[in-house]
Amino acid sequence: MPKFLVLYKWTLDEQDIKIKSDDLSLDASRAKGKISDFDRNAIEEAARIVEAKGGSVDVLTYGSAAVKQSLKDVLSRGADKAYWIADASAETADAVVTAKVLAAAIRKIGPYDVILTGEGSSDQFNQQTAPRVAALLGLPCLSLVHKLDVEAGTVSVTRKLAVCTEQATVSGPVVVSVLSDINKPRIPGLKQVLGAAKKPNEEIALGSLGVSPADLQPKAVRRSAKGFVMTRKNVVFKDANPADSVAKLVSSLVSEGLF
Amino acid sequence: MTGIFLFSEDPVLAKQLLTPALALKGALDQPITALALDGATAADLAALGADTVLLLQSASGWVEGLGDAVTDLVRAATVVLVGGTQRGKHLAAHVAAKLDAGLTTDAKSLAIEDGKLVTSRILYAGLAVGVEELAFPAVATIPPRSYPTPEAAQTPGSVETVAVTDDIRVTVTGTTPTESSGVDISLANKLVSVGRGFRSKDDLPLAEGLAAKLKGEVSCTRGIAEDEYWLPIERYIGISGQTVKPDLYLAVGLSGQVQHMVGARESKIIVAINSDERAPIFEAADYGIVGDLYAVLPLLTAAITS
Ligand SMILES: Cc1cc2nc3c(=O)[nH]c(=O)nc-3n(C[C@H](O)[C@H](O)[C@H](O)COP(=O)(O)OP(=O)(O)OC[C@H]3O[C@@H](n4cnc5c(N)ncnc54)[C@H](O)[C@@H]3O)c2cc1C
Ligand SMILES: Nc1ncnc2c1ncn2[C@@H]1O[C@H](COP(=O)(O)O)[C@@H](O)[C@H]1O
Repeated sequence: MPKFLVLYKWTLDEQDIKIKSDDLSLDASRAKGKISDFDRNAIEEAARIVEAKGGSVDVLTYGSAAVKQSLKDVLSRGADKAYWIADASAETADAVVTAKVLAAAIRKIGPYDVILTGEGSSDQFNQQTAPRVAALLGLPCLSLVHKLDVEAGTVSVTRKLAVCTEQATVSGPVVVSVLSDINKPRIPGLKQVLGAAKKPNEEIALGSLGVSPADLQPKAVRRSAKGFVMTRKNVVFKDANPADSVAKLVSSLVSEGLF
Repeated sequence: MTGIFLFSEDPVLAKQLLTPALALKGALDQPITALALDGATAADLAALGADTVLLLQSASGWVEGLGDAVTDLVRAATVVLVGGTQRGKHLAAHVAAKLDAGLTTDAKSLAIEDGKLVTSRILYAGLAVGVEELAFPAVATIPPRSYPTPEAAQTPGSVETVAVTDDIRVTVTGTTPTESSGVDISLANKLVSVGRGFRSKDDLPLAEGLAAKLKGEVSCTRGIAEDEYWLPIERYIGISGQTVKPDLYLAVGLSGQVQHMVGARESKIIVAINSDERAPIFEAADYGIVGDLYAVLPLLTAAITS
């Protein structure tokens, strides 16, 4: 029966991040945390397979002290046990650091049959973690999966790329990143939320993973992040009779030289 | 560390990568080595300015499985540029991990400053632009159509054949090419873009009729392509889809979330049609109509004919 590990990231909800008008810096002071959108698909996929065929779903996250807030949420979505690494290094971590920390943790708590990630994280959308973790652990990696089957140690997937769909199989442990269309994640009900409180979670101390201080230094160092502001005309027509709005729009577009 | 390396399995993109590679060559005074999977592309890359082209003899040709082989070939690299297709991004992440190198996904700009590669890219799905500096060796993926193909070089480079090992742990059992509608929305001057405000696939002719009148094409949001399958994947715009810069972007029944708009916000004029006055698309639009698309689109289509 397959042992799944789902890697999930606790990110800021980008909808709550405001751009300061004076210097275009980002104000995340009122931003709430969320499980990175596509990671919910990864958790859901593991949970569905285990509910159908048996097995187990562990989840693992690396983040700042705030990741503790994610535990109830993640455990209500179908995970059996949550591992978490809370360390200030996560605030400056790039994909290099993140993959090293996650790979070291997997060496400690693993092995797993299938390690799942989302297609990309909502904040960074690096699309790097799955291939990097696989490379560091010496495992094969199947990315962008929209159909996943696990049968007696063989993992069969359909990958969806812009140019084609592709069927591939791997026997033995594998890292898989999933697309959002692989399933529709459940909305946890009261029962799941209450049940989550009884499920186990375990902190992994970063110091116990044998990751050196040098390994926690990012190779890609953020120099600045500035809000993108779009200046648009923002002319809105809302006449009771839509034909009036349409006429105004058409004459605006004519004066723009569009036709 | 010496050398600028580039790779894309997409021949057009591979040639485009030579443009930033040649700029880096100017800044670093290091030779360019291009990796190619077929002889024709290898010859083109040599003619267009690669000093050396390594023609990889991969039995499977499965790009994602070439991570270890490519790592061995680019070990000396200062900078590695990889074409930002989905396969390319997967390969680049594997190579970067093996080189213990930073990797900028979808780099919008590249510069060398103080012995570092300085890149810019999108963060928070388009809300912000981040600038990061990468120690050497540094890897970056470059989206298609970011750069033109360079002019032919004065002295062509040489081509060498190299045997490489595939990742035999993965068996690709079947490939079905995506049915292409033959439409490249990135080339369209005018786009009518469809969102979840459309209630059914049967309603798409409303958008198609308008697009035809405008001599434009129909594009869409991710959900319309990925979840509903109403339009091909190549038609959706956004951070995980296409980037377009038409003269007119007419957003119909789409909310204008940042993940979508990041792919359309360089359009010259943006027009929104949405029944919800508070939809974020109106902030991103030059002109908007608050109204039911089912009423507005037929009127607009008719008004344009006359
Ligand atoms: C990591 C990540 C990456 C993503 N990448 C992309 C991407 O690349 N591209 C992309 O598009 N999305 C992407 N998304 C999804 C994105 O966040 C939005 O959810 C999506 O763009 C919304 O699609 P929509 O506007 O079609 O639907 P909705 O947000 O549901 O909007 C539908 C709109 O239609 C309006 N409407 C309804 N009925 C009518 C009517 N009768 N007449 C007029 N208006 C009507 C509604 O008011 C509403 O504003 C991504 C999300 C994540 C988390
Ligand atoms: N800090 C993290 N902790 C756990 N999982 C992560 C972390 N960062 C990224 N991931 C996983 O890797 C996926 C891709 O992230 P990224 O490479 O940042 O786009 C995410 O969808 C998560 O599944």
